[in-house]
Amino acid sequence: MVDVEARVFVTGIGLVTPLGPARDATFAALVDGARGIRPVTFFDTTGQRAALCGTIPELKLPSDDAGAGVVWSRTSALALAAAREAMHHADLPPAGLKVGLVVAGTTGGMFETEAHLAALHEDPSRDDALLELLTHPLSATGDSLHRALGPFERVRTLSTACSGGANAMILAASWLLSGELDVVVAGGSDGLCRLTLSGFNALAAVDPELCRPFDRTRRGLNVGEGAGFLVLERSDVVRRRGARVYAELAGWGLGSEAHHITNPEASGRTAARVITEAIRRAGIGPESVDYVSAHGTGTPLNDPMESAALRQALGAEVERVLVSSSKGQMGHTLAAAGGIEAAISALVVERQTVVPTVGLSDVDPACALNHVFERGRPAPVRAVLSNSFGFGGMDSALVFTTPELGPPKRWARRAVVVTGAAALTPAGLFGATTTADSVLKEGAPGPRITRDLTLGLDLARARRLDRPARVQAAVAIEALRGASLDGKGTTLGLVMGSCFGSLDASAAFMHRVFERGPRFASPADFPNLVPSSPVGHVSIYLGMEGPSLAAADYTTSGEGAALMAMELVEAGLASAVLGGAFEEESRIVERRLSVLQARHGEAARPRAEGAGVVLFEDREAAEARGAKIIAKVAQRRSYRATSLADAATLVTRVEPPAAEARACVVVPHRVPEVMTALEGSAWRHAEVRACDGAGGEHEALGAVALAGAVSLFLGGSVDEVLFFSATMDRAYALRLVRP
Amino acid sequence: MVRAMSEVRQEIKELIVKELNLEGREPSSIEDEAPLFGEGLGLDSLDALQLAMSIEERFGVRIPEGDEARPIFRSVASLAEYVTAKRAG
Repeated sequence: MVDVEARVFVTGIGLVTPLGPARDATFAALVDGARGIRPVTFFDTTGQRAALCGTIPELKLPSDDAGAGVVWSRTSALALAAAREAMHHADLPPAGLKVGLVVAGTTGGMFETEAHLAALHEDPSRDDALLELLTHPLSATGDSLHRALGPFERVRTLSTACSGGANAMILAASWLLSGELDVVVAGGSDGLCRLTLSGFNALAAVDPELCRPFDRTRRGLNVGEGAGFLVLERSDVVRRRGARVYAELAGWGLGSEAHHITNPEASGRTAARVITEAIRRAGIGPESVDYVSAHGTGTPLNDPMESAALRQALGAEVERVLVSSSKGQMGHTLAAAGGIEAAISALVVERQTVVPTVGLSDVDPACALNHVFERGRPAPVRAVLSNSFGFGGMDSALVFTTPELGPPKRWARRAVVVTGAAALTPAGLFGATTTADSVLKEGAPGPRITRDLTLGLDLARARRLDRPARVQAAVAIEALRGASLDGKGTTLGLVMGSCFGSLDASAAFMHRVFERGPRFASPADFPNLVPSSPVGHVSIYLGMEGPSLAAADYTTSGEGAALMAMELVEAGLASAVLGGAFEEESRIVERRLSVLQARHGEAARPRAEGAGVVLFEDREAAEARGAKIIAKVAQRRSYRATSLADAATLVTRVEPPAAEARACVVVPHRVPEVMTALEGSAWRHAEVRACDGAGGEHEALGAVALAGAVSLFLGGSVDEVLFFSATMDRAYALRLVRP
Repeated sequence: MVRAMSEVRQEIKELIVKELNLEGREPSSIEDEAPLFGEGLGLDSLDALQLAMSIEERFGVRIPEGDEARPIFRSVASLAEYVTAKRAG
């Protein structure tokens, strides 16, 4: 166990918002009470019942040379501007520091993808549009920033809908305190698109007029766009290089309501829990909190829930603490909101100036708080609470303070063990005892897709669960069952990856909008297009109230999700977290592949679907409940490289297997570069097992192989397993040993 | 007219089962007067939005939003009555 004392400081702030193209312009406009909510100029909003949005009409996509071959999306361009400003203010990149990047997003490149979907809607034979459709998976923003502003040691993308930006800060803080990275650039970005506007309209969650958070007459939110990034830096690094400190990120909390996919749980119970946890972690009490940057969307349901949560968490102090929501001025910027509001919170601390809720005049009695009206003003501020709540009930809270207000963090890395695993392939659902024999073998894949999506679920309760959610619920339940857990409780979580997400469902949703008009956008389908919707559904289905996140890292999304799951357990943010991935059947991906394969004169390779998940558990918690420990996590590494050959060299930096140990290496595919690197490593004598056909071809195969790697221990024939996965310019390694 | 009303009720029941994914539920097993929300079928506000959209698509009848919608969404019978009245008008 590693013990250190450290703090997390904010040393850079970057903002691109409807109020201004940069940090200071945005903050000045916030204080002035200006509004950046206006009619949309860059796409047609005919037929939308409400169309005022927080927009950045002047946004220009960077020229290609700015990003070394990057195809920029609106979302990525916003992220680039905000992250670049934050890094500029922090005087980055400095030599010799380990710098990471974590990006939160929801829509990714949907604005650009919509144009290709529209072209295909007009003419289904448009192969050019088809080939462009997959240019912007959720992880593309992180990849684009890596090329334009990096290199970064570690790049991760997460999504928890509207609380994503806040969760990016929490992950970054955990990385810093663990000592693995010195500096992390963290934030959220979401560009406006037709899908988002149509979806919130379908949910009748949008105010046709300017939104009015906490007001008696409020009717909903205005959708917005933007990006907010912070440079977060560990205190010893700050002191060593003499960086300027804006504020301290002192506390954080996250959890799931396990209640409803769109509606917040009215009592505010979970929101109050994460707020209380954030204040506790900051080592202060409610009496030190002077200002709240509220989630304050302006919807009928959010604002009273949040007010109730603040009353529970702050107690009598709630009468004194100033509260405001920036969403009256810039609209709801989805994943960016958590990043933007973290940036605003740090600026409120640094400038000792609070900002207002514009649009609020007649306070709803259910939202009675010490509101800041109309304009900002100077005020003594010791600590700021920043709330973020997402679809599916993913609640997060951050506490920013003046530097060194509370005690430093005493970091104790929790040891992690594996207590469960499961995989789903078209051949069936496999638990930890059978996964290895079923997937780590040669053989033609049987059926390509899972036909029976009942998957043992209670259909009355699972009626809202779409294909990804049902599969994820089924593998989660199987892994938990093997570990003798039911999934309920505030300390159990879930991180699931996907490369392309629900692309076909997004296409179907947009085709309806193109065909019938926005009035006929499906309210029930829209929430399922959010990347974190499956984990949200699973948390609701199981009653899982710990952290639930979606992760993306192109074709290693499952590997990234598994590491994120371990990181949450190591940081003490959950006692057990499932990590893995699901990639679903996609006619679009298959059609595109067949076009590409035909162009290259290759034979068509059928694409399958599948999921894999591993249960990572705090060792002490597992021992305390008498769990059967399958393996110990001896080492985990991820590496961002410049090429596949370079990425594969990560294997030479993994600790060698113990002498005399029966060792095995598990890889998703026998990639030539990886096999060559293995030959030159300490693991060259170990048997190599792969999903040679039996797992089928899909982007979540890494997660399936990882579940297989865990499963090998139950066969009794191995003492150590190295799971290794490398693709394009990234690699993941996980060394597991017999307990 | 009576016959038209029973057909509308049946169509609404089929919409409910299909649009709200009530797998395994027979449309005819939904009672005309049973409450749709809360105790009865256990539907919620998200279901109401989906149902309103699909009814507008199927029958060309727009259901008002907010408090006005409450009595209309009380049961299959009240929905069918509203749809039939609007279509006749």
